[in-house]
Amino acid sequence: MIPIEYWLIFSSLLFVIGAYGVVSRKNAIVVLMCIEIMLNAANINLVMFSSYHSVLHTVPDATGQVFALFSIAIAAAEVAVGLAIILSVYRRYQTIDVDKINILRW
Amino acid sequence: MLEYAWLIPVFPFVAFLLIALLPKRTLWWESGAVYAIAGTLCSLVLSMLVVWSVLNGETLTTDTPKFKWLEVGDFSLEFGVWIDQLTALMLVVVSIVGTLVVVYSGGYMREEGEGRRRYYAEITLFISVMFGLVISDNYLQMFIFWELVGLCSYLLIGFWYEKPSAASAAKRAFIVTRVGDIMFMAGIIILFKYVGSLDFETLFSESAAVAVPTDMMILATALIFGGAIGKSAQFPLHEWLPDAMEGPTTVSALIHAATMVKAGVYLVARSYPLLIHAPESLLFVAVIGGVTAILAATVALAANDIKRVLAYSTISQLGYMILGLGAGGYLVIYANSPGGYAAATFHLMNHAFFKALLFLCAGSVIHAIGTNDMRLMGGLGKKMKITSLTMLIGALAISGIPPFSGFWSKDEVLAAVWHAGEFDSVFFLLWLMGIVTAFMTAFYMFRMWFMTFAGEPRSEYHAHESPRIMTVPLMILAGLAMTSGFVLFIGDGFKGFMESSIEGLLHGAEHESLVDIAAEIFTDPLTYVSLTLAVVGIMLARKIYLTPGFDRSMFSRGFNGKLQRALENRWYISKFYDDFAVKVVYGLSLIADKFDRYVIDGLVNGFAFLGGNTGNFIRRLQDGNVQRYASLILVGICLLLILVLYILPWGG
Repeated sequence: MIPIEYWLIFSSLLFVIGAYGVVSRKNAIVVLMCIEIMLNAANINLVMFSSYHSVLHTVPDATGQVFALFSIAIAAAEVAVGLAIILSVYRRYQTIDVDKINILRW
Repeated sequence: MLEYAWLIPVFPFVAFLLIALLPKRTLWWESGAVYAIAGTLCSLVLSMLVVWSVLNGETLTTDTPKFKWLEVGDFSLEFGVWIDQLTALMLVVVSIVGTLVVVYSGGYMREEGEGRRRYYAEITLFISVMFGLVISDNYLQMFIFWELVGLCSYLLIGFWYEKPSAASAAKRAFIVTRVGDIMFMAGIIILFKYVGSLDFETLFSESAAVAVPTDMMILATALIFGGAIGKSAQFPLHEWLPDAMEGPTTVSALIHAATMVKAGVYLVARSYPLLIHAPESLLFVAVIGGVTAILAATVALAANDIKRVLAYSTISQLGYMILGLGAGGYLVIYANSPGGYAAATFHLMNHAFFKALLFLCAGSVIHAIGTNDMRLMGGLGKKMKITSLTMLIGALAISGIPPFSGFWSKDEVLAAVWHAGEFDSVFFLLWLMGIVTAFMTAFYMFRMWFMTFAGEPRSEYHAHESPRIMTVPLMILAGLAMTSGFVLFIGDGFKGFMESSIEGLLHGAEHESLVDIAAEIFTDPLTYVSLTLAVVGIMLARKIYLTPGFDRSMFSRGFNGKLQRALENRWYISKFYDDFAVKVVYGLSLIADKFDRYVIDGLVNGFAFLGGNTGNFIRRLQDGNVQRYASLILVGICLLLILVLYILPWGG
């Protein structure tokens, strides 16, 4: 088996890349994509811990993997909502630059 | 019978609720007078039954029935009923005068229209709480009712509240008596601190008296007497009572002559088991009483308002009772005699009857001609035969002419003060003040009677005798004023009756026979001194106010004029209070105003300013840039993680 640290480093990298993208990119669609990357980092962790749990305790247990499936389904719904918001924001402001959409303040 | 005594205040209270809450159309005759009369009549009957039981020797002073009201820690506040001879006496006074006044109101208040409902509601409430006051079995319950009678007094003085003078008189009466009430409360608190109970049963026992240090006992009793100073209008808190005459005359008769102002006297009499442990307080009581008696009598000499004459006369007679109680305490301590105590309470009862009578007669006169000013009256005797005759009986009674009631009790009070002189010579001086007061009382009473009923009319008026509903109570009260003095000689005698309520304080007093009492009165030269002075007073009033063309201008010249002006201005005491209020209190208020405006408001505004500016500064952080929020959250979470995972475990 691949040692657990590899998995953890991999998912952490994925998460940090996603977080960096969310914080720094201007394009709202790219931000949304980065959020997806962060979510998938978490999903990798779920699947990984689930399989390690089954192997180490020698019990067939798929709870974590089912969780990952749920997470993917919810992520799909979230993307749909997110894209819809971005679409209506674009219709109203003719831009999807997140720096420019800052009317919710003070 | 006594276990039903708690019902006595309930009847008028039910009447109060009915009058206050029923729809207007079901109030019947005189906007609710029927309910008021019915309620007070029920109480009268029940009171008489209770008094009859007490006369037969039953009392309710141990294991009194109680109703638990609330519990605080290990102290529980209970409402109870306490019936002894003193309570019985007060029940007689309140129930009889209360009923007669309510009946009389049926005629007197006829022209008040919508206000009558309020009037009857308030007066039945007053009678109810007054009963509650006299049957209380602990000081706290008494204090609660004490405040409630004050409230009713306030409401009824201000009955014509749209008149500024009535509204301010009501406020004045309430605030001035509050000064006394606070002293009363302070006295109660001191007693509670040392004894841990406010029940009469506990407080009046020997063990309670031992528990309180002597100086604290003096302070507590003096403070409790302070309550009486306020309620019974004693010097220096007496100025509210003449102002209280702004209310309807029936209210003056019931509350400010016969019952509520007697509550102070009752309080002092009730506190006797405590007072006799503090002779210093008793002396204080007596001196205040004596000073009040003479001071108020002098002001009554020059008053021209018929009700004010009676108001000052009431203050003066209350002073008599207080003086009698002060002297009576000395007699209990040093002579084992209930003489002064019995005399003062006797005077309380007699005064209630004849002063209620005098006030109701004055009400009848005011009702007939519509003015209070005696200078505009005169010659009314021919037109108002019943009123003038009953008022004459009242005036003779208060002047102390035998066989009317005032003679017996006033004489007893003066005799008690004289006897107390054997133990402290201050009482001789007080006796002298009392006897001068007796002379002045006779003089001003007959000045009033002559100015009102005798001579020729001094203004145009169309007087008529009052209706039967008003004259019948007058006649009943006149009958009582004539005869109530004789209870001194009925059965055990009044002295023997009252003696049993303070039996525990007397150590084997010999019981005087009724013949001895009578003989004492008529062989004592002092009796004849006061009698002569009263007669001289009446003759002098006749000479000055009835002789046609008598030159009264001598009273308004030189020193006499100054004196008269001082009397007309009530010795400037009222003016002093007003000036005091304007200069000192208003000055203090100005300082308080500045403090409030600049310090308190400054603090409050400062906090608001601080909060506003901080908010203004911090809100800049919320600039609408979602990515900045996200980075802040990330940094925050990282910092938290570092804190929880690395820094905190070090400390632990």
